[in-house]
Amino acid sequence: MTLEAIVAIIASGLVSGSLYALMASGLSLVWGTVRMFNFAHGALVMIGAYAGWYISNRGGLAKVLQPLGKSITANSEDWGLLGDLLHPLGEWILSIKGGFGLLAGVPLAIIFCGIAGYVIYMLLVKPFVGKPGADLVVIITTIAGASFLQNAVQVLFGPRYKQLDRILKGPPVEVLDTAIGLQEVLIIVLTPVSLLLLNLFLKRSKLGLAIRAVAQNDDFARLVGINVNQIYPLTFVVSSMLAGLAGLMLGGLFFILPTMGSEPLLRAFVVVVFGGLGSLPGTIIGAYVIGLIEQSSAYVFSLYWAPVVLFATLILVLIFRPRGLMGGENS
Amino acid sequence: MIRFVDANRRLLALAGIVIFLLIPLVVENKLLIHLAILGMLYAIVASNWDLTLGYAGVFNFAHLAFFGIGAYTSGILAVKLGISPWLGIPCGAATAALASIIVSIPAIRLRGIYVALLTFACSQLVLLLLLSQHQITGGQQGLTGVPQLQIGDFRFRESKFAHFYLVGALLLCSTIFLRRLVASDFGLSLIALRDFEEYAVARGIPLARQRLLAFLFSSIFPGLAGGVYAHFLIVASPDIFGFSLATLLLSMVLVGGVATIYGPVVIGVVMTYVSELMASSAWMSDVFGVSRGPVRFMFVAVIIVLTMRFFPGGVWGLIKEYSARSRLGGATADEERA
Amino acid sequence: MLFQVEDLVSGYGKIDVVRSLSLHVDEGEHVGLFGPNGHGKTTLLRTISGLIPVNSGKIFFRGEDITGLDPRKIVEHGLIHVPQGNQLFPEMSVQENLTLGAYVARTTKGKTSNFEKVFTLFPRLKERRSQRAQTLSGGERQMLSIGVGLMGMPELLILDEPSVGLAPLIKEELARAIGEIATSGVTMIVVDQDVELLLGICQRLYLIEKGAVSLETADVSQVDQAEILEMYFGKVTE
Repeated sequence: MTLEAIVAIIASGLVSGSLYALMASGLSLVWGTVRMFNFAHGALVMIGAYAGWYISNRGGLAKVLQPLGKSITANSEDWGLLGDLLHPLGEWILSIKGGFGLLAGVPLAIIFCGIAGYVIYMLLVKPFVGKPGADLVVIITTIAGASFLQNAVQVLFGPRYKQLDRILKGPPVEVLDTAIGLQEVLIIVLTPVSLLLLNLFLKRSKLGLAIRAVAQNDDFARLVGINVNQIYPLTFVVSSMLAGLAGLMLGGLFFILPTMGSEPLLRAFVVVVFGGLGSLPGTIIGAYVIGLIEQSSAYVFSLYWAPVVLFATLILVLIFRPRGLMGGENS
Repeated sequence: MIRFVDANRRLLALAGIVIFLLIPLVVENKLLIHLAILGMLYAIVASNWDLTLGYAGVFNFAHLAFFGIGAYTSGILAVKLGISPWLGIPCGAATAALASIIVSIPAIRLRGIYVALLTFACSQLVLLLLLSQHQITGGQQGLTGVPQLQIGDFRFRESKFAHFYLVGALLLCSTIFLRRLVASDFGLSLIALRDFEEYAVARGIPLARQRLLAFLFSSIFPGLAGGVYAHFLIVASPDIFGFSLATLLLSMVLVGGVATIYGPVVIGVVMTYVSELMASSAWMSDVFGVSRGPVRFMFVAVIIVLTMRFFPGGVWGLIKEYSARSRLGGATADEERA
Repeated sequence: MLFQVEDLVSGYGKIDVVRSLSLHVDEGEHVGLFGPNGHGKTTLLRTISGLIPVNSGKIFFRGEDITGLDPRKIVEHGLIHVPQGNQLFPEMSVQENLTLGAYVARTTKGKTSNFEKVFTLFPRLKERRSQRAQTLSGGERQMLSIGVGLMGMPELLILDEPSVGLAPLIKEELARAIGEIATSGVTMIVVDQDVELLLGICQRLYLIEKGAVSLETADVSQVDQAEILEMYFGKVTE
């Protein structure tokens, strides 16, 4: 194996690991706090990518708004005072022919995912919280939710693939004689930063502290006055925003299509089980380990065998260490 | 009184079978017959899934894999080795049974969410293995050129009756098998383990063995159905393992009613009709404009969530509750008279 | 009257554990509850703090009906329940546990001075402020549990079995601390098996049996302590 190959494997392993880390930490957060597994998490990744595309791309929202802009500028003279007020708005809409750009697309898509996560919680999770067998019922309802979202997006946007603009444009970076794309570099750098922000949120903010409190002892959390019914949806929102971020990254690397979230979701399952359900550090380490295993086995065996190796590993872990390789007492 | 009910039931069953045999004679529309066959095949998978999911209380995703394994085994044996489907289909059931043992050995040791994850991972592993061996399995495109069923010169696909009767017989056998199983001591032990695990184990019911047997028994008919499915559609496709079919089959079990067997059988056929007819009906395309295929899966998803929310016992549960209530009402009326 | 429970009935599922129980606590008073295990003391406290729904009866705090309120609302009223047996956030530091004790808005103002109060009362916690709760000893965990309660600026502090399972020396230390809290003017309900500990702190005692008050002592300073002990043990062996 040449040095170049090793660097390439590490780089692609880090990219996959980053995406898995973002997805799996959200899954793990929800499991740790609400004790539910969200099978619609992959669909949220997809929603993030589509929302980002829809806002930033000229084929999306901007295109839909054009007729509105035209009719405002054309008719505003007849509307008197209201028209004078609306006219600049119409002109502004017409000026955004090129789309709102990634600067608007990325944050808005993440916010949109947060809202979607809230809706998913209210519709698919909340009615069952506290009932017997709720964790299993929620698997069913969130699978249904994932299926609904995938198909809804296909109805809305059609089966044709979309692609996000690359955030950084330019020639690839050379690391030890190996070329690594800028998007990849961005993902490798940005993921630890966002995970650090997540960590800061959980450790320093009042709500973050409350999330951890509910995860560790929900009865005692109630007794110090934490509104658990508020923390559950909040956890879903945070986790969905992370999924949205993963979707935006994924959408910049590959094509965007309705089923794009399913495969990464499966990998994220592997990661979460591997790292121990509910343990955030275990999950993040697990994500990078799985990413590297996957990419190196793709190199050593073949692209087709890599996932087989991965799932075989998962099944072995489940059999011998059901609480995860790095899992502690969280079960 | 009891004998009277028994005789009544037998008469009812006989009438049902006669009506069933007459259906293809009366129904002209080929699509309706095609859907009935598909629906009955799905009903087999759903009702067997119900044995582990409902009666044994083990939430798992194994049965779609059993179905797919049956389809691919019989298909590959026929396409690659030229083995007759009549031998291949039982072979498919045998591989499905083997797979059920392999998956249940680790699954027995785990609980709740972990079983769900493990069986989900296993079914994905089967899919990935199939995709990785694309020279044999046809990869993403699926295994094409699967021969159709035939006896001598009689080709099943050319007849309106053949598949219908064959699959109907298979569904009947599967249902009788499941109902017998559920009513037997074995079935009772499964329910005991589900409802009072510690007590049942303390009374000497072997948990591991009963759960393994539940998986094994419920793998055979889905394996057979998978084989028939491949020869009926003359293709074995990786779509079998997808989210959409999983959701559809899950909806059959849930809407039909968990731990009822009959519920998934009946609703299996009904849901197939509803979802397929939605996909092909004209008004759907008028209302939703673009593509109507996806809309049916959205519809199925909504039905699942509504069922879980408002009728967790499913349709069959509702019927049971209703009949129990009316019987209860009758009893109190009798008492009043007395 | 600060706090009053009237004909309270509650329990788990269809089984009533607390059966028509009434008691009251005056402002500044310290009241002890004792009685055999499994007779509804903990269930009573969990009902008071809103963790278990009330089947019937009423709970009043400062004359206001707080029956069936959310635990959060009850904490906001200043009714703080320190539960039995090392209930903490195990993977958080001592500091974080205490911070969460001051979660509700009412307590944020006094947070810094309350930290000081808790640390003067339990100097050990100050030493271990960055240590994770699950690494503390049993006694330290109990101190932390009470400390978290104090961070909630209790108007009525309810302690459930603070001395259970502790070595005599640590028990003494804890009893002293609870006594200090009592003399500082916090109204308290203390549940414990150790009647001597209760007698050292409380002005009045309730004996709870079969989910109801079976005996209420008048001002304990007026009666012979040995008499009460005898009464209790006499009743139990009966």
